Amino acid sequence: MVQQKRILYEHLDVPNINTFDVYRQHDGYKRFEKAIAEYQPDDVSKMVMDSGLKGRGGAGFSTGLKWSFVPKDIEPRYLCCNADESEPGTFSNRYVLEKNPHLLIEGILICCYAMGIETTYVYIRGEFTLGKKMLDAALEEAYEQGYLGENIKDSGINVNIYSHPGAGAYICGEETGLIESLEGKRGQPRNKPPFPAVEGVFMKPTVVQNVETLCNLPFIVDKGVEWYTEMGPIYGDARFDPPKPDPNTGTKLYCISGDVNEPGVYELELGLTCSELIEVAGGLRGEEVKAVIPGGSSAPILTHYELDTRLDFTSLTLAKSMLGSGGIIVMNETRNIVDCLLNIMKFYAHESCGQCTPCRWGTPWVRDIVQRIADGEGRQEKITRPKFGIAEGGRWGDTGETEEIYEDLDLLESVANNIANVDTMTWNTICVFGIAVSWPAVSYMRKFRPEFEATIREGKLTTLSVEEATVPPEENYAFQQRIIPKEMSELG
Amino acid sequence: MSDEIIQLETPFQFNEENMKKVDELIGRYPIKEAAMLPTLHLAQKQAGYISPAVMKHVADLLEVTVMKVKDVVTFYPMFFEEPVGEYVIRVCQTLPCALRDCKVVLDHLKEKLGIDVASETNLAKGTTEDGKYTLMKVECLASCDVAPVIMINDDLHKNLTPEKVDEILNNL
Repeated sequence: MVQQKRILYEHLDVPNINTFDVYRQHDGYKRFEKAIAEYQPDDVSKMVMDSGLKGRGGAGFSTGLKWSFVPKDIEPRYLCCNADESEPGTFSNRYVLEKNPHLLIEGILICCYAMGIETTYVYIRGEFTLGKKMLDAALEEAYEQGYLGENIKDSGINVNIYSHPGAGAYICGEETGLIESLEGKRGQPRNKPPFPAVEGVFMKPTVVQNVETLCNLPFIVDKGVEWYTEMGPIYGDARFDPPKPDPNTGTKLYCISGDVNEPGVYELELGLTCSELIEVAGGLRGEEVKAVIPGGSSAPILTHYELDTRLDFTSLTLAKSMLGSGGIIVMNETRNIVDCLLNIMKFYAHESCGQCTPCRWGTPWVRDIVQRIADGEGRQEKITRPKFGIAEGGRWGDTGETEEIYEDLDLLESVANNIANVDTMTWNTICVFGIAVSWPAVSYMRKFRPEFEATIREGKLTTLSVEEATVPPEENYAFQQRIIPKEMSELG
Repeated sequence: MSDEIIQLETPFQFNEENMKKVDELIGRYPIKEAAMLPTLHLAQKQAGYISPAVMKHVADLLEVTVMKVKDVVTFYPMFFEEPVGEYVIRVCQTLPCALRDCKVVLDHLKEKLGIDVASETNLAKGTTEDGKYTLMKVECLASCDVAPVIMINDDLHKNLTPEKVDEILNNL
């Protein structure tokens, strides 16, 4: 069985690790001291770039690359730590904030040193009252001990960290939504470009990083790039010649919930498979796996045929899903996929910020269609109509073929695809919330179509067996287009 | 909304302690407006809910229009524009909790308190007549490993069953 590799979570369960003294006994702030004593700021940035660290918040964008976009000649620059953990199925940041807030502060200090940043805002979710209390207490201690404030430990570095509470809006986890919210406005995302790295909070260059990403920094600085890149697979991107390295290095705090015996946070090297993770989490609660959501509720669902998919950024993207924030939700054979989709769509209909029309109107519409199907009132008419898909020239349109469809399932796919299109990978909204709604909706519907059809036909929620409910791999759109990435070592 | 037409039923002023905190908060940001969310949290803690008088006071402090404050208050689900119960019970309803039978917990609470679930536009229907409890649904509370969960004011309660809910309510 795959063993846990606790790095970020190593001292999480040490009693009173949230206090400065105990944290200090466990090498606390020594990694920051090492960074300022042994490395120039640019060296730290280079280490982060070489480590291949990818942002842990959801998009999986290279942290080093993001830092390189920040113009060094514009003052002041800001760091926003994204602690607005609201993705259903994700709960790893909460434990860092509640149990080991000094680790986050140390990570922030290293980022600030590398980027020459003097002010950091930790945007912390409004519901995390305990987390905010613990972080505020830790900040106070760090100020007292001289690790925050003016001229830290006579190094000439000034860093101030402030915690900033959100107020219950999911969209504020999106980086530009977070910035708007931090400025005291509605958390409605901005158009990109300009990217936050160039024009972020208060219209100044801003680095936005997730809690988990920042917590990785002390260990990269302390133990070095070589140590870090040994963990997790490095794939080769075959579109380039020679293949370009695509690192999925380091550990990930996998949050697993739903139908497993021991739900919780497991820190493991990136790149283990879905079934391995279920085994680590004490095995399945139930007889058979029906479906797995691999990266928070925004991620397209995986069927039991896809359990060998490796849980890392690259593999899941190529499997037409995503690792997102690492929230894995497992469903066993007793679950009804229509019911699960309804739950998720209620969430998105509630959380749409209302800025873009396709999302504002589309999300409640999708919810209403799924509600209608779940209530047993799904429209039954089978109609024959021209088939839409990727037509000649790679554009979305009439393919010249015809198909038979259930009216409501067709409507569902059509509405969802007009928020964000699964096949062309395009979206009609400002932020990626549109993708988070429509890609899962379409994936549930396409991959578990027999269950949707049975529910419409029977006029009530009908749960089929795992085998019957899932479309076979040869008809599964994601399975057909799936590419298994090759590791650099395999490419030779 | 001009100042004249706001009905100031109960006037609002930050108490001395909170006023100090607000001054400190404003000092953290290059623009005053950015202190909006923490200031509103403080105001809600003091006044119980964000009335027009609270909005007016916050707007004056942050040097923005009242409309701008209202704009923010209506966007965020954690701010209430109507009075709520002494204990606000938030029941998580999202998928991981749903897979662990949160509906049983919600139904039990509804039956026990004899109220419906409050909606954002109608808090009164989810509040008991004695003004003690408000029952509302909430989206994922980020504690899926200990589902189902509820939050009562600032405290999280984990791994719930109807019996545990009874015990928690009795101890309030």
